Amino acid sequence: MSVFMDLNILAITDKKKLQSTIETAAHLGYSTVAINYVVEPQQKKQQIPKPESVTELFEKFPIVQGKSRPIKVLNRLTVVATDASHFRPSNEYKSFDILAVYPKTEKLFHAACMTYDVDIICIAVTEKQPFHCKRSPVNGAIERGVSFEISYTAAIRDSTMKKYTIANAINLTEVCKGKNVILTSGAEVPIELRGPYDIANLGLVFGLSEGDAKAAVSTNCRAVVLHGETRATALGIIHTMKRMQPTGQEQEEESPAAKKAKVVKV
Amino acid sequence: MVRIKYRYLLCEVCVSERSGLQMLAERPIYDALRAALGKAHGAHGAALLSVGSSVTYVNAYTGVVLLRFRKAHYRLLWSALPFVTSIWSRGQKVPCFFNCVHIGGTIRTCQKFLVRYSRQQLCRMLPHCKTEAEKQEVRRAVLSCSLNKFREEEEDNDFGEDGEETEA
Repeated sequence: MSVFMDLNILAITDKKKLQSTIETAAHLGYSTVAINYVVEPQQKKQQIPKPESVTELFEKFPIVQGKSRPIKVLNRLTVVATDASHFRPSNEYKSFDILAVYPKTEKLFHAACMTYDVDIICIAVTEKQPFHCKRSPVNGAIERGVSFEISYTAAIRDSTMKKYTIANAINLTEVCKGKNVILTSGAEVPIELRGPYDIANLGLVFGLSEGDAKAAVSTNCRAVVLHGETRATALGIIHTMKRMQPTGQEQEEESPAAKKAKVVKV
Repeated sequence: MVRIKYRYLLCEVCVSERSGLQMLAERPIYDALRAALGKAHGAHGAALLSVGSSVTYVNAYTGVVLLRFRKAHYRLLWSALPFVTSIWSRGQKVPCFFNCVHIGGTIRTCQKFLVRYSRQQLCRMLPHCKTEAEKQEVRRAVLSCSLNKFREEEEDNDFGEDGEETEA
């Protein structure tokens, strides 16, 4: 079973437009989308935005094409880093489901691959990447489960950008051999979205094999979402959630004493 | 005798305004495709499009389009499809994009899929209905859409030739 995901829909202040974009994504068959907040710390006074509550966006989430479940919406933060001081783990990052970093220099790319606690590393699509992806940091990132993102909206908008996107993508996929690559839209308006099968086929242009291209829109994205969850839950060992008090008490009373002790231990 | 094999791409044209769908026609779609291919793959792409490719079917009401490519290089031609952003029709620019929903070896398999797909769309429309009359209308449409009627007629017409065109 494959579930398609699009982990990059740009956050815009116009709520109506955002809604129609997400509706289109559901119509195309994406089961999960992530609303992307971009922050550029080199511009002075830019605050990390507070993610809007997802439940406020829709009264009733649109149903995904071909499935009976409603679409799942996540929040994502992208930090554009030109200097090592721009990315520092803080509590503000914790309110986002997925954390991405867009390194502008080779040194930062190396650091992002090897040490930064992120889920996604973005690859330049609007300019020629100023550095070459080296094998050792890329392998390190794959080992840590960090993914590389190629976004295709810039390629659709402009033919020069298309050249850069394809060049940078091939540059990356040759080094990482098609592993841990995700393809996302980065769309602002519904018309910039594309269907998951079209994008899987577009992966062939980016130098991915057939299987890798399909994984880039389905299983790799799932891995990213799960990696995002592990960040919030201490490597996935501990997971805390609020539960309704009254029903919880009833259950505890019903369960036998031996079982109760076990639960406490865990 | 070996026939030349094709791949049929069943696409859905998504527009921002429904009125744009009325402008769809075979020629403008083919032109848009050729322009996108020329930009994405240059002379090679344009040359591949000119052999054996065509726009087989256009439904201006639902926005369903059937494209035919040679099987040998349909993937290359398909990879240019995401780069179509608008169609020029009757002097007007219709912003749109193609969403490929099915790939079939014959028109017949595409038709079968399309019936199933359209039926799904009707089911999706059901919760959006406002009045009871609309709901009844959609329910009736869901029950009535099947290829059975077609099939019966076909079997009457060419009895014994069944399954000749189907391809695995």
